[in-house]
Amino acid sequence: MDNQPMLQVSNVTVQFGSLLAVNDVSLEIHRGEILGLIGPNGAGKTTTFNALTGLVMPSSGKVLFKNVDITNMLPYKRCQLGMSRTFQVIRAFNNMVVEDAVRVGAYNRHGESTVKNKVNEVVEFCELGPLRHRLCGDLGLAALRRVELARALATEPELLLLDETGAGLNPAELTAFMNLLKKINLDGNITLCVVEHVMQMVMGVCSRIVVLDSGEVIAKGSPAEISIDPKVIEAYLGKRVPKCY
Amino acid sequence: MKNKSLLSGRNIALFVIVLIAGVVPVFLKDQYMMGLLTSILIYAALASAWNIIGGMAGQLDLAVAAYVGLGAYTMGTLLIRWNITPWIGMIIGGLVAMGFAVLIGFPLFGFKITGLWYTLTSSALVMVLQKVFLMWDSVGGATERYLPVDPKYPFYSMKYVQNPYLLLYYIILAILVIVIFVNYRIRASKLGYSLLALGEDEDAVQVLGVNSQFAKIKALMIYAFIAGVIGTIYAMNFGYVHPSYFNPDMSTEVAILGIVGGMGITFGPVVAAIFLVSLKEFLRAYLGGNLPGLYMVAYAVILILVVLFQPRGITVMFQTYYQKIISKFGVKKDG
Repeated sequence: MDNQPMLQVSNVTVQFGSLLAVNDVSLEIHRGEILGLIGPNGAGKTTTFNALTGLVMPSSGKVLFKNVDITNMLPYKRCQLGMSRTFQVIRAFNNMVVEDAVRVGAYNRHGESTVKNKVNEVVEFCELGPLRHRLCGDLGLAALRRVELARALATEPELLLLDETGAGLNPAELTAFMNLLKKINLDGNITLCVVEHVMQMVMGVCSRIVVLDSGEVIAKGSPAEISIDPKVIEAYLGKRVPKCY
Repeated sequence: MKNKSLLSGRNIALFVIVLIAGVVPVFLKDQYMMGLLTSILIYAALASAWNIIGGMAGQLDLAVAAYVGLGAYTMGTLLIRWNITPWIGMIIGGLVAMGFAVLIGFPLFGFKITGLWYTLTSSALVMVLQKVFLMWDSVGGATERYLPVDPKYPFYSMKYVQNPYLLLYYIILAILVIVIFVNYRIRASKLGYSLLALGEDEDAVQVLGVNSQFAKIKALMIYAFIAGVIGTIYAMNFGYVHPSYFNPDMSTEVAILGIVGGMGITFGPVVAAIFLVSLKEFLRAYLGGNLPGLYMVAYAVILILVVLFQPRGITVMFQTYYQKIISKFGVKKDG
């Protein structure tokens, strides 16, 4: 791990009208790690995420990716720089077959001559071989999550941001998905940032965790530290009140 | 490639169809039928061009008549004023339509106008241009401006008086083949994949490194250029230019052909045009005196039926039958 963080977020604020969705958030993502971004509902995780990936422009603050200021950069340019993401609500290309959907991403770094090899490689890697000629619209949730991941991987990112990829998966699917994420991180040498609700997944794969509540960072640390942090417990379960009967 | 054999099979089929289409006029001496065939080909080519923006990029565009009219007026004005041959006017007409598309496309896509709003804007474009040309006396005006024919050089003025449709028929046939080829090439390129994907979800495509705005403008430019070129043939077919060329009905018809044929399918619009335009002419010829405009009712009914029962287009239906027949004969099907 080098000293310079891959993604440096400094004092980012996102305001929708009078609602302060993200308030003065600073965090950094280091090369090679799996960072978990957690927090209760409405904590501003997805908005933070959108601010990092360019779907929402921050009202103030700065985002540096590989020392390039990307605060107001359009999403497709960020992707060309080496950053991609998936969505919380599946955004599948319903009328395209799996390999074509992956191919859309593969064109990011490949021309017509090599794009096919890249598609094959990614489809193999994500274990989508049997599904490659199926229409995305016909697939189930677990498969679609894989397709979305494959699509993003095909762009050959250095940093991949995953928004609630574990949501709605059954335990078996979740385990398989976690293994896939670890494989991406280790074999693919890709830095990951996951926003996650499913604690099993967060504790299982993340090397470091940032906790958000009401748009602010309330804790940072390893999974073990986070799980006993009183502020985090308070945010999730509420304050311990004296018995009053 | 997965379906290379199918692809070459298709190419052979295309070649045979073009050959038949090329030989037909030799035997067909009936001018009415020639006019009908030319009309079918014009609509087939327009619908194929529409397929790029409507079928692939998923923008329900209703502005085809705007580009057709611009192409027609550019060619017509060049021919009437400066006696410049339609062969050159055709290309310049296409370029003017394309330039106009760029002017429209940048603000439209820049402000992220999609879906219903794009449809309404494109539809309004046709009506605005119609009024502009109605009032623009030096180019348009309310009366027809006839395209002069030089009897000494019929090829130069693109019209043989004895057999007016023959040359136009071959030109539009060539254009149709080129449009299908362009469709094919786009479909198999980065642009095609980007368009298909952005038609479904634009945000999702942007995070995959696709400049969706630029892709849409490229598609719009190609489409407008082709429509402009076809517009000049359309005008030659009638022999005059008139603001009624900016006809919202035409835009709707072309979009219907594209949808009925199958969105994003290369041959879809051609198949749909053969069926629907013949039907239109049939209804016009036999019932037009009593019930003018009946063909629009028929179009509407067919559109509803297709959307209800075969939303991916009638061509898909044929493809399914084709696959069934092939598998019956024991040919190995891949994929």
